[in-house]
Amino acid sequence: MRTETSSLPARAGLVIVGGGVIGCSIAREATRYTPDVVVLEKESDVSCGTSKANNAEVHSGIGEDAGTLKQKLNVRGNQMYDEFVRGLGVEVKRHGMLIVVTQRVIPEETAGGMSEEEREEILTRKIPQGIVAYGEKAGIKGLRVLTRDEVFRMEPNVTREAVAGVFDGTYGLISPYKLTIALAEHAVINGARVFTDTAVTGFRVEDGGVKAVITDRGEIETSLVVNAAGVFADEVADMAGAGGFIIHPRKGATLLFDRQVTAEYVKSSVAEFRLPGQKTTQSKGGGAMPTDEGNLQLGPTAVETGDKYDTSISAEEIEEIFERFHYLLPDFPRDALISAFSGIRAPTLEEDFVIGASEAVLGFVNVAGIQSPGLASAPAIAEMVIGILHELGMPGEPRPDFDAVRPKPARFSQLSNAERNALIKEDPRWGHVICRCETVTEMEVLNAIHAVIPATNMDAVKRRTRTGMGRCQGGFCHNRVAAILAGELGIPITAVTKDGEGSPIFLGTAKDFLRGEGA
Amino acid sequence: MSAARRPDCAVIGAGPAGLGAALAAREAGLKDVMLIERDVELGGILPQCIHDGFGSIVFDEVLTGPQYAQRYIDRIEAADIDVRLNTMVLEMAPDRRITAVNAREGVIELEPRSIVLAMGCRERTRHQVMIPGYRPAGVICAGAAQRDINIEGIMPGRSVVILGSGDIGLIMARRFTLEGAEVEGVYEIMANPGGLSRNVVQCLHDYDIPLHLSHTVTFIHGRKRVEAVTVAQVDGGLKPIGETERLVPCDSLVLSVGLIPENELSLQAGVELDPVTAGPVVDESMHTSVDGIFACGNVVGVFDLVDWVTRTAETAGRGAAEYVLGKKKIRTPIRVNPGRNVRLVVPQLVRNLGREVDFYFRVQRPEREVRANVLAGGEQVFSRKARMVRPPEMIHAQISASGAAGKAKDITLEVVPHEKET
Repeated sequence: MRTETSSLPARAGLVIVGGGVIGCSIAREATRYTPDVVVLEKESDVSCGTSKANNAEVHSGIGEDAGTLKQKLNVRGNQMYDEFVRGLGVEVKRHGMLIVVTQRVIPEETAGGMSEEEREEILTRKIPQGIVAYGEKAGIKGLRVLTRDEVFRMEPNVTREAVAGVFDGTYGLISPYKLTIALAEHAVINGARVFTDTAVTGFRVEDGGVKAVITDRGEIETSLVVNAAGVFADEVADMAGAGGFIIHPRKGATLLFDRQVTAEYVKSSVAEFRLPGQKTTQSKGGGAMPTDEGNLQLGPTAVETGDKYDTSISAEEIEEIFERFHYLLPDFPRDALISAFSGIRAPTLEEDFVIGASEAVLGFVNVAGIQSPGLASAPAIAEMVIGILHELGMPGEPRPDFDAVRPKPARFSQLSNAERNALIKEDPRWGHVICRCETVTEMEVLNAIHAVIPATNMDAVKRRTRTGMGRCQGGFCHNRVAAILAGELGIPITAVTKDGEGSPIFLGTAKDFLRGEGA
Repeated sequence: MSAARRPDCAVIGAGPAGLGAALAAREAGLKDVMLIERDVELGGILPQCIHDGFGSIVFDEVLTGPQYAQRYIDRIEAADIDVRLNTMVLEMAPDRRITAVNAREGVIELEPRSIVLAMGCRERTRHQVMIPGYRPAGVICAGAAQRDINIEGIMPGRSVVILGSGDIGLIMARRFTLEGAEVEGVYEIMANPGGLSRNVVQCLHDYDIPLHLSHTVTFIHGRKRVEAVTVAQVDGGLKPIGETERLVPCDSLVLSVGLIPENELSLQAGVELDPVTAGPVVDESMHTSVDGIFACGNVVGVFDLVDWVTRTAETAGRGAAEYVLGKKKIRTPIRVNPGRNVRLVVPQLVRNLGREVDFYFRVQRPEREVRANVLAGGEQVFSRKARMVRPPEMIHAQISASGAAGKAKDITLEVVPHEKET
């Protein structure tokens, strides 16, 4: 099943490889200047890689190393966000981050000759003030030091070992897949074309410049290519001879809790301050934070893996998360765990973003190594890439006919009763609840299937409507959603997949089985 | 919006609990009983339970799930009860205000004089038992698989591993086999089966399906669809033993790893829950901690037999009627204490020991040759011998205390070795 079932265009002004948040951000920004944009995605939906499995944070940049491109684009991206999502129908919530300084930054037994007063001075003043100074130097505004009492007033569930904190009010949350889908739809509304289930297999490069993109569905002539292929960006660059960097996949696991139990368990992103030598993983440390829907999430881990498809979670990772957060949030509600997910990150050896026009292949732009804070940096990355594309010949004049609004899909659970009744009067399917945990109606599922970027499988419906995301994890609604998908797509229910080819939900009808048939 | 309707009683959920409660409330004299069900038909989980084993206590007969349900559905249809199918309760407030929705009427506001909670339970999922691995298609809970096969006629798996030997897991092992799928085995982390003994015999032994006790699944393989699971033996602390790990190729993992009472609405209404049963704390009339709100069946605690669900439902329905008709005297409750080898008990509170009171309780560990006793104020008011007690099986005790015991200030349930008394 493809987002666009029509064949690929013979040529395009700009081809973007990768339908993640970066590819879709660039696509949407490019359509401000030209409708002649094509996005190619090898998976069954946009937002299927790193963009669907991260912690939804719009970081401020305070966690990044000074002087890196990552830090520069993160700080700028964060500041651009509200403008970036205007008209998209998704919101960024500025919930803030609390960095907690705890006793174990300087364990008493290692305090050496330090007096108790000196230790306290360092923990409650020097370290928090140092964090603020570091952030201000990077251009982050509004940082403030909190006393122990202020920490508890803000986050009562934090460990009593806390001695001070720093609050960073610029931190935000946004659903990464809702954002990606909205960006892709906004681009399509403005003329772009998005092809899913379409894998790039090579490029035609002549006279030192890119001439065409070759896919498993045919060729598109183009002189401008953006490589936003995430963990596969090194391989895609190498296909064109425009590489020279390596992506070493790293996976990060996160645990998700029932939002009815954990709503407001933490209000901000809560992270524990650790000195560089005290970090146990390569992740910036992760934290405890709400999702944009109010579930508590803990994580992520950071585990190197040789496999770019390795989204598994090991028992050790789950244990590590439990152990890590047992200190920061001693009483977190373990029993309310409803889900765990793992996403692949795409770091380069330098651990910095690789953004720029290839010197080897004219018209080929790499946007690679985009790991955390890639989501936060997306607006600034897109801005930077658009600048590069202008230099490479993309039209430079803003289009007068650019449509600034991507209509927001209505969500039954968030409407007033009067609004609900009005919709039910319009179409009774608004009154038919399909997913009971998340209160999703039949009409919302139908709207997702017939959206600008249509949902063609269970996970795609889930990302758009939340079916199956609740505490029963689809036990109740899976066959109901599958039946609607089958009906709308005109396929047998046994052809409905979880997330594209090779992932059927059902393996045959009972009759097939008794006849010895079935998949 | 029109003014809220004020039925005498609103029953939420029309599984065996809701059916029994609505009928009992109606028969006890309530004129306006509303039965609210989110599914397309009455019966809850029963229509998909096409095996037999239902009704041995209530009807003294062995019925299938659909047969058991139909007996109540026929009575409901004859009883002038306001049945709302395809209707989802969205909210319930401590003052008993209910907001529901359906496609025909839109949003419905209710202010019932009494409520009976009969929402049943849901299945625990893979993440609640934290099975590591990938998240492919083909990991499904046993009850959901049962619905797929028995109601929808579609097969969620062909080569199946079952984790958990709860009753639904055992029943589904047989069901998959009868439908032409292959069940590689049933794995149970505990040293004893989780389901009824009769199901171990009739669903596994009779079909040569191996049961691996003290084993669990340690990893799910397959990026798109399940390709295999790793299984391992566990030690005394239930930790997998690395060297016993074994790869079992399969296309599905079916989970029967426990049931959780569905109390999201109860919590909205401020109903106090018992951390052990995970259901509302109730008294002997199944009255919860919130005035006028009753609860019955699996929402109160997971029962082993539907017959007990019906019994608690009848109690709750009668309780709601007495409440509305003003017959119920509210007395200070006394707490029911779980004594030796008793893990949980329903009801947790008793207000009037003077009339018949039904207790349902489960043991902590299997034990042979025991006596189950109920003590009121130290006086033994119930005692019954049992060859064998096991945690999956509910013990039922009906007492009727009079005289001094009827005025007792404490009640204890205990399971003690038989020899103790001789």
